[in-house]
Amino acid sequence: MPASDRKHEVSVIGVAASPGIAIGPTFLFTKNHLEVAPRKLTDSQVKSEIKHFKKALDETRQGIKRTRARAVKQTGDIVARIFDSHLLILDDVVLLNETLERIEQEKLSADYLVNDFMLRMYRSLKAQKGEYFSQRADDVLDVARRLIYNLKGVKDDFSSGLKKPAVIVANDLSPSDIIHLDRRKVLGIATDLGGATSHTAILTRSLSVPAVTGLKNVTDLVCAGQDIVINGNSGKVVVNPTPTHLKQYINKRKRFKAFTTRLQKLRGLPTETRDGRRVRLVANIELPIEVEAVINQGGEGVGLFRTEYLFLTQGSLPTEKDQVKEYRRVADALAPKPVVIRTYDLGGDKVMPSLEMPKENNPFLGWRAIRVSLDLEDLLRTQFRAILRVSHQRNVRILLPLVSCLDEVRRARKILREVMDELDEKQVSFNREIMLGVMIEVPSAALIADELAKECDFFSIGTNDLVQYTLAVDRGNENVASLYKAYHPAVLRLIKHTVEAGRRANIPVAVCGEMAGEPLATLLLVGLGLDELSVSPMMLPEVKKIIRSSQYAIAQEVAQKAFKYSTATEVENYLLRTMKKLFADLPVWFTRD
Amino acid sequence: MIKKEYKILNKFGLHARPASQLVKIASHYKAELWITKNGQRINGKSIMGVMMLAAEQGSTIILEVDGDGEAEMLQEIEELIHNKFGEE
Repeated sequence: MPASDRKHEVSVIGVAASPGIAIGPTFLFTKNHLEVAPRKLTDSQVKSEIKHFKKALDETRQGIKRTRARAVKQTGDIVARIFDSHLLILDDVVLLNETLERIEQEKLSADYLVNDFMLRMYRSLKAQKGEYFSQRADDVLDVARRLIYNLKGVKDDFSSGLKKPAVIVANDLSPSDIIHLDRRKVLGIATDLGGATSHTAILTRSLSVPAVTGLKNVTDLVCAGQDIVINGNSGKVVVNPTPTHLKQYINKRKRFKAFTTRLQKLRGLPTETRDGRRVRLVANIELPIEVEAVINQGGEGVGLFRTEYLFLTQGSLPTEKDQVKEYRRVADALAPKPVVIRTYDLGGDKVMPSLEMPKENNPFLGWRAIRVSLDLEDLLRTQFRAILRVSHQRNVRILLPLVSCLDEVRRARKILREVMDELDEKQVSFNREIMLGVMIEVPSAALIADELAKECDFFSIGTNDLVQYTLAVDRGNENVASLYKAYHPAVLRLIKHTVEAGRRANIPVAVCGEMAGEPLATLLLVGLGLDELSVSPMMLPEVKKIIRSSQYAIAQEVAQKAFKYSTATEVENYLLRTMKKLFADLPVWFTRD
Repeated sequence: MIKKEYKILNKFGLHARPASQLVKIASHYKAELWITKNGQRINGKSIMGVMMLAAEQGSTIILEVDGDGEAEMLQEIEELIHNKFGEE
């Protein structure tokens, strides 16, 4: 790219992997490409080469174990299992035997032979369709790199050369790379590769730094030292912001930080409007270690505990034992506050590749979430069993994702009852009255909310998917992404309808999508009568402040007025005007970028 | 040399855990193990190879064992498959 082009500000959209906003100089993270040319050995060198190879294997094994131990501390046990598969790969018997054989017979150096073998494995795995195989291929690459570095005697301490705090921009970051980053110097992360469910995405969350992955070509767009802004909430990255924009972002961030610090003292206070309307303010989490942030920021519980990580980090079926351990961990950390555990919300192809699955043309409208769980009943039973075990003297609830019809709720309840009977027979204690709720994210569910409300114990409105399904927009599709509008009157009407149905059936209605944490939407949502807002932990203080500073009567008025408009833009502008007037000192528009 | 066909019985097929169990058994024996599925033939002692197979429930795999302890190895693996890899 010609130097003149690099001066321009460029915006790109990727996958919002880890929340928060980071501003800073770019650090281009590159990995040395090791030249691995075949080296011919003399007869007398064969023996020592074999010794050298075995030693390198040992060193690599120790290295991976060290990384794993570090990961356990940083991310917890389950996520650290990402490295267990690395150890298995390293111990692959064929890798060992074939290399030994070829050293002896072909008299070639170990580094060349290892590279040859691993590259073949990598290519075969990458050639298979599916995220699962792609992830396994990346695992092979990570291990191969370590081993070859050790064979070449090059120390890879993963230090990356990062000297000052910066935003790391890379083509890809392997799990090993991420675990070994000096967190104090990492302001944020932006990568070309890495889908939403990749190990990269999961591990950047565990670092608690803003991260955006899947940007495709951000490494082409940056050059070292240039400033970059990454928004881990929206997935937007701004390369080389103009001086004006940069100043704006920095100011916003400064105010946000100062503001959040001032809000620390609100931690123990209830989320209540000035005229006494109580709203439960809880948080969304994806990994157990995020519970810390929830507690620090004064969350009143977890409104959405996503359980997919159990699958994604192991590429294997999560055992009941593991699930019990993880759910218990979260429930205990927050006790006696409630934890809402959502059953697996995965596309069939993520659950695992060894399942017979035709490539879906339209996965968004396909086999995922509750559909997979009900078809693979054992999956659901095991998850229910684990949740029930944990429910004994602990405050946990069950949430079903992507419900689109009443049948699904009925079937799930039936399975839940059967699992309860099973546990009764085994004389295992559990909470018989455990609440079973349903996510309202499919328009059909919102429209039959009255019927659903009769047969479940609470609702949780998933605005992200609700917007996509209602407006027929794929947020990840650059051609139509601008059509995604959470404040579209149609969406607001569905939310209202859902809340009213909940009211009539006397069940609580929560909202857990991104919108719940948007300060712009707070008064609107409270005014519509939502009982609970489940937000990203870092948004807890701001949302609490807004609610504590307002009157429910005003919030209701705001909600009413918002309904007078017929386009999303008009609604947004109205809310912006209103919020600016009512809350002049809040960085209200900060995260709307 | 013994060659035998097996049907994968467990619901979630040969995902990472059962795959590693199978490879572990095979590693105890001198005999060679080759696994074929849909024409793809891989070395059954290689975890990377078995990962590539990802055999689903109901699929057929052909096991070829050859060498010292071939019968015993096949027997052990057969039991593992029959017991659905201890998953149900």
